[in-house]
Amino acid sequence: MNDRHLSPTLRRILLEALILCAFAMAVGLSLNYRMVLNAFTGKTVTGPKIFNAPPAEQSPTAPVVEQAFPDPVELEELDGLLTEGALLVDARNAIDYAKSHLQGAVSLPLGEVDARLAAFIAQVPKERPLILYCNGFGCPDSFDLGVRLLQEGFQEVLVFEGGYPQWRDAGLPLEGEK
Amino acid sequence: MSRLASIIYHLSRLILAGVFIYAGVIKGTDPVAFAGQVANYQLLPYAWNYLVAAILPYIELLCGMLLLLNKRVRPAVLVLFVLNLVFMLALSSLIVRGIDIDCGCFNPDAESKTSPLMALWRDAGLMLLLISVWMLRYRQHPPGTNDGD
Repeated sequence: MNDRHLSPTLRRILLEALILCAFAMAVGLSLNYRMVLNAFTGKTVTGPKIFNAPPAEQSPTAPVVEQAFPDPVELEELDGLLTEGALLVDARNAIDYAKSHLQGAVSLPLGEVDARLAAFIAQVPKERPLILYCNGFGCPDSFDLGVRLLQEGFQEVLVFEGGYPQWRDAGLPLEGEK
Repeated sequence: MSRLASIIYHLSRLILAGVFIYAGVIKGTDPVAFAGQVANYQLLPYAWNYLVAAILPYIELLCGMLLLLNKRVRPAVLVLFVLNLVFMLALSSLIVRGIDIDCGCFNPDAESKTSPLMALWRDAGLMLLLISVWMLRYRQHPPGTNDGD
């Protein structure tokens, strides 16, 4: 568009609209810079919300129970871990898994864990490292499933927080109906 | 501006202010969940969903505040018009691709779902309000006048 065809008022409105957007962007980015930076560098985005969650309140007289939590793992670490024999575990629902999942992943939806855990334990040795994922973007299912698997005695449980979307966008191989 | 036009102008302005301030606050308080909603549209690469989630709520919030204060109304309306147009294109693409998700227009954690078609109708209504505010403000302060926008 040629500025010469715009009246001074419209030019001013356009300029102010651009300034308004720039200001909102500056505010949004300054308040969320860590989240955006982590997303673009492939690091865990939801760290404060999930991985550093405060422990549940306990009464002073209750015995202190050691709660084990899964460790986070980044996209660039996955290749080495998978080469060493780690197993990818998809914590999303069975329909999403059937449509598309990370190559080599097995399905263990958090919502069906009670029904499917016995079969999973029968097939997977407890010493084998597990890499859990779900839908990224703050999806807590992989973390919750990780806590459960640690309680069941699995020794090395990791959570790939970027999950399915980060893997897909990195162009890594997928399997499924799609 | 006639009394009726003035009432329509201020009513539309206040409705828009309420809608966009609410949308901005609710999305801005949980940007990670909102990024998930943006990702559900399957339009952007992984990290870009977070960028949109970091910025968009503050654009809505700022424009809503300006409408509420009746300051810089036309620049705010222009930004919201373009934003709403983008929303409507994204919603249309969901309908064309047969993706039935919650629109994520307001509360990212809401259990109730607003279908893309329903959200499209709602956005069409917002567009009408935006056009009304622009036109009535335009009549109040035609080009070349010092309108205090």
